[in-house]
Formats: sequence, C-alpha cells, structure tokens
Amino acid sequence: MISAVQDYEAIKTAVETAANEHGEPHWFVERRLAAIDAMQDLALPEMKRYDFHRWPLMDNMELNFRRSDKSLADGLPKAKNQIRFVQVGQTTVAVDLPDELADQGVILTDIFSAFREHPRLTEKYFMEKVTNYKENKLTAYQQAFLNAGVFLYVPKGVEIKRPIEAYLIQDSTVKQPMVSHVLIIAEENSQFSFIQHLNTKGDEANAAHCMVEVLSRANSHVHFSSVDELGEHTYSFLHRRANLSRNARFDWAIGIVNDQNTLGDITSELIGEGAHSESKVIAVTTGKQSNGINNRVVNRGKHTTANISQRGVLLEKSELIFNGIGNIIHGASGANAEQENRVLMMSDHAHGDANPILLIDEDDVIAGHAASVGQVDQNQLYYLMSRGIDKELAQRLVIRGFLGPVLEEIPLPEVRQEMIDVIERKLEDGQHFN
Amino acid sequence: MATLEVKDLHVSIKEEKETREILKGVNLTMNTGEIHAIMGPNGTGKSTLSQTIMGNGAYHVTQGDVLLNGESILGMPVDERARKGLFLAMQYPAEIQGVTNAEFLRAAINARRPEDDQISVMAFLKELDKNLSLLDMSEQMTERYLNEGFSGGEKKRNEILQLLMIKPSFALLDEIDSGLDIDALQVVSKGVNSLRGDNFGSLIITHYQRLLNYIVPDVVHVMMDGRIVKSGDADLAKKLEKEGYAGLRDELGLKVSLVDDNR
Repeated sequence: MISAVQDYEAIKTAVETAANEHGEPHWFVERRLAAIDAMQDLALPEMKRYDFHRWPLMDNMELNFRRSDKSLADGLPKAKNQIRFVQVGQTTVAVDLPDELADQGVILTDIFSAFREHPRLTEKYFMEKVTNYKENKLTAYQQAFLNAGVFLYVPKGVEIKRPIEAYLIQDSTVKQPMVSHVLIIAEENSQFSFIQHLNTKGDEANAAHCMVEVLSRANSHVHFSSVDELGEHTYSFLHRRANLSRNARFDWAIGIVNDQNTLGDITSELIGEGAHSESKVIAVTTGKQSNGINNRVVNRGKHTTANISQRGVLLEKSELIFNGIGNIIHGASGANAEQENRVLMMSDHAHGDANPILLIDEDDVIAGHAASVGQVDQNQLYYLMSRGIDKELAQRLVIRGFLGPVLEEIPLPEVRQEMIDVIERKLEDGQHFN
Repeated sequence: MATLEVKDLHVSIKEEKETREILKGVNLTMNTGEIHAIMGPNGTGKSTLSQTIMGNGAYHVTQGDVLLNGESILGMPVDERARKGLFLAMQYPAEIQGVTNAEFLRAAINARRPEDDQISVMAFLKELDKNLSLLDMSEQMTERYLNEGFSGGEKKRNEILQLLMIKPSFALLDEIDSGLDIDALQVVSKGVNSLRGDNFGSLIITHYQRLLNYIVPDVVHVMMDGRIVKSGDADLAKKLEKEGYAGLRDELGLKVSLVDDNR
C-alpha cells in the first residue's frame, strides 16, 4: 500500500514527463495530475464484509510506456469476419473492424489514439459521465496511471451482428502494472455485443486495474461479457459500470476465473425510465485465493428493471464473497429489482458467503432476493456416477450445470466453450488438491 | 456369462428419529441371458433393492451381501459398480442443466474405456443415431440439457437410450413403465428387448403386469414386506393381475399389511 510519506510532487513530475513524452493531449495530462492530487485524500472503496486493504494494488506509482513482444498474443483464435481488438501490455497488436462498420462511423481503437483523434468524444466521456476519478483512491489511481485500453463508439441506430471481441493481455514478463480502460459509447438505438478476454502472460507479480465504463443511450441494446483469466501473480481490481438511459437494455455476463485475489465491482445505473439490466456473474476460486465481488444495480428511473444473478464455486482454502446490492432510489416508482446469489462449497476449508443487500427508498416497487450457500447436489452426483462417470468428473458436470444460467448468456458458442474450458481446468486443478 | 447374486440382504434407512428396516433378507440369483421381474405392492422394498444394488448412499446394508460374478460389490462406490456392468434406470432421473445429453452419453461411454482409446466422434454418432431411431427419439433430444425440462415420458425414453448406449451386463429398471402411455411403453419395451441375449440380464421392477406383456420375463418374483415371498414364471404375473396381492398374501398365510403407504 502507499506509505504516508509518498512524495506526491515527485510522482506528479515524473508522470507529467512520461505522459508528455507519450504524446498525450494536454487535457489528459492535466487530469492525470489532478487525480494524483486527489489520491492523497481519497479512501479505498467500501466493500461490505470484505477486507482487501493489504493487497498490493497500488505499489507501483510510476508511468512507463514500453513495447511488448507481439508474439505474446500468438495462438489467439482467429475466425473469419471476426471483429476484434488485441492488445498486449500497452502494445496494440490488431484492430480488425470491417470497412462497412467504419463507414457507418463505428470507432474501435486504442484508448490513447482515441484521446488524440477523438477528443470531442473522449474528453467529454472518459471518467466523466459514468465513473469519476474522485470516487475513491482506486478510481483516482486509474486516471493517474492509465497505460492501456480500448475505445468503442457505436453511432445512432447502428446494429452490429457479430460480437466485438477485445483481447487485453497483461504483459507480466516485465514488472509493470496493467492499468487498462474500456470505454464504450452506445448511441441511441444502437445494438451490439462486446466480449472481453483478460489474460496474463509472464510470471512477474503485478497488479491489474481493469475498468470498463459503458454509456448506454436511449433505446440502445448492449450485451457485455467477459472471460477473466488473470494469472496467479496478479492481484486485480475489476471495476465495471454501465449507465442506462431511457428504455436502454444493458446486460453483463461475467466469468471471474482469475488465479489470484480479485476485487470485483460491477454496477448498472438505471437512470432513464424503462431501462433494463440483467447482471450475471460467475466466479470460481481455488487455492488460497480470495475474491470479493460487489454486484450493484441502482434503479433511478421509473419502471426500471434490474436483476442480479451470481453463482460461485469454491475449492480448497479459497474465499469468495458475493454482495448483491439492490438500490432503489426515491422516485423510481414501478421499479423492479430481483437478485439471486448462490455459492457452492466444494471444500470444508473454503469460506463463502452470499449477501443480499437491499436499499430501497421507494414504496411502489417489486424487489426480492434469494441467497444460498450449499453443497453439490447429491442426487445429481449419484445419477451421473451411476452411469460409470467418476466422482471428480461428475462433480465438474454438476458444477457446470450450476453455472449454466450465466454460461448460457455468452453470445458466441466458441467463447462459451472457452469459458467452460477455463472453468474445467481450474476445477480440475482445485480438485487435485482437495 | 455374468451373475448377480443377492444374499440374505437386510437394508435400513435412517429417518428423522429412527432407523427403519426395509429389506429383511432378500435372496435372488440372476444370470445374463435372463429377464427377472419383481412385482409387489407399494412400500415393500422393490426400489430399495435396486438402489442398494446400485450403491445409493441413503440405504444401509446391515446384513447379507451383493455379489457380481462372485465378487462382493458392497464396498465399491457407485461409479465403479456401474463400470463393472450394472445400470439402474431410475424412477426419477436427475436434471442437469449445462450438460448436453450427447456430451453426457459420451462421458459415460468413455468412462468404460481406457484414456488412450476413447470413442471416436463418428463411431459415437453412428451408434447414437441407430439407438435414437430405435426409440423414436429426435436428434434434437441429444443436444438438449440432460433431462432438463423433459416430460415424464421423455425422461423414461432417455433412460433407455442410455441403457442402449452403455450396454451393461445387468440393467435394473425401476418402474420404467410409470407415467408412460401405451405407445411409449411399446417403444421402451422394444429398446429393452433389443438388448436381450446371452450378454444381458435385466431386473424389472413394476407394479403392473402390463409391462410384462411387452417384455416377457423368464422369472417373476413377488416381494412383500421386505422379502421375496414367491417366485415363478411369467404366468405368476398374470395370476397376480387377476387375484391381486391380497389373494397371494392370504394363500401364503402372510401377516402383511398392504395399505398403500407410498413408500
């Protein structure tokens, strides 16, 4: 953690020099410096019933830009007509956007190019409308030390059939944190889905700060999924937030399958009347790792619908806390917020919890919650084993069934399979040690 | 030839306050090549017998033994018993979301094969198609999640599909006829009959004689109050259908209550 006697002036000078050498626009350099100032007084974000204060998330207070070895991105699946963005460390390896989408005004580019080439959009929206650096020490750190990321802009009425995929690969062959930002603007009546893949290459111990902010304008329809597969030496803070305007539909389907401690914070802000969000998260923890996940929906507009569904599986000595936070603001009449948080304990030494937290300040609403901490279903296990399937495989199949409702949501079959494979691998590792 | 022997089997289950003995000394020997039927009123332990042979942990053997080819299987976990050649078509098959029927079937087949000799996709699909058409099932059923949202009849057919794909030495069919209309009953029977031969034996549990018109048994056993009280040939089932269990009970001079207690 940051010691009380950090020399912030020296840090500011170093960051300013690095940002200028990197060719960043003046407005963004100024924002970095403001964020460093703000960091000194801001507290860490609040996470109910979970302690992460000792995690090495902000040990590195330097801003460096270096080229990563592009071959670290070798072996990624490449399909025909794939729309994708590939970045290793801070180095953008590929941007595949069909011409007809570019012609319609779709922008898919790395975040720093976006700052230079699309200042009108980025200056106005980067950590201004959806998130803000002043929220807490980690959001300020994000703005101060940002070193990677992607920008997606989908204009009014544009529908993109094929999901847009972003591979964001942490380069841990060197000592350097990943401070990555996905900024998505979905204009009115646009429609698309976005799939994020987070990976780590290399064995250096580094933090990863991965922020996603999505602005969903009126009547837009956006689906966001992510396969989080960060490495065993990466402590991560995954901060994801979407703001929904009138009648917008925005869904999360997130698989948190990292190998080290993870703080997850997922929020849907339903601002416009009639907005609707489904927020689905699964997590698998093994070894001694600890995951704390806040999944928050905020009903602000009238007749908004926001549902949370979280499912987690714990093996070995791991810890997993799901907080489902349903917040209905005064005036959001006719709002609807349901949540379901379930964790499955595969080990007596694991510690899991599923906490529904309802904060309701309006009478005319429908809200409900279900939570459970349980064991694997013995009937299902018996059934599979009675066909000759051994106990470990039977357990993995039952777990897959348990995670099914979220796996279902991933729009591309091959990515769904990727998620299943990642989970299977992790479960197998965890089972061998149980 | 394979042999399944049940010797003086006593089985209890733990209920809330006490332990209740359900099987009170069952003896039964069957060989492959034979079809045996077990009939009896509700609550006499028919399902308990099949679940105990399969290894369901809820049933506790307090006395006796179950031998497969002369080897006691009571110490074996469920999956090992299955790989040794036992199969139980369940009355209430579990539903498992996220796992397709086809994937499950392949896993079950491959569990019986060495790691370096797993079934090829082609061979698997060929076998699957053959059995689907035998059972009048659509290909679509195999891409659905295991038993999820299946109707009662679909579940029963799916049990028989598994039976045909796995080809065990002994199949225990626990009320495979319950909830089936006459057409489905014929299809299910056709499936079981297709396996008849020197390398297959089956123990069919049923309340009603009707199923036995389609799968004609070599031996019929009648169970009452945790024991086999009479064995005979297929005619015994017909006689039971006519006279009811009470008639047989009185003929044998048994003091057994036949109140349907739904167990």
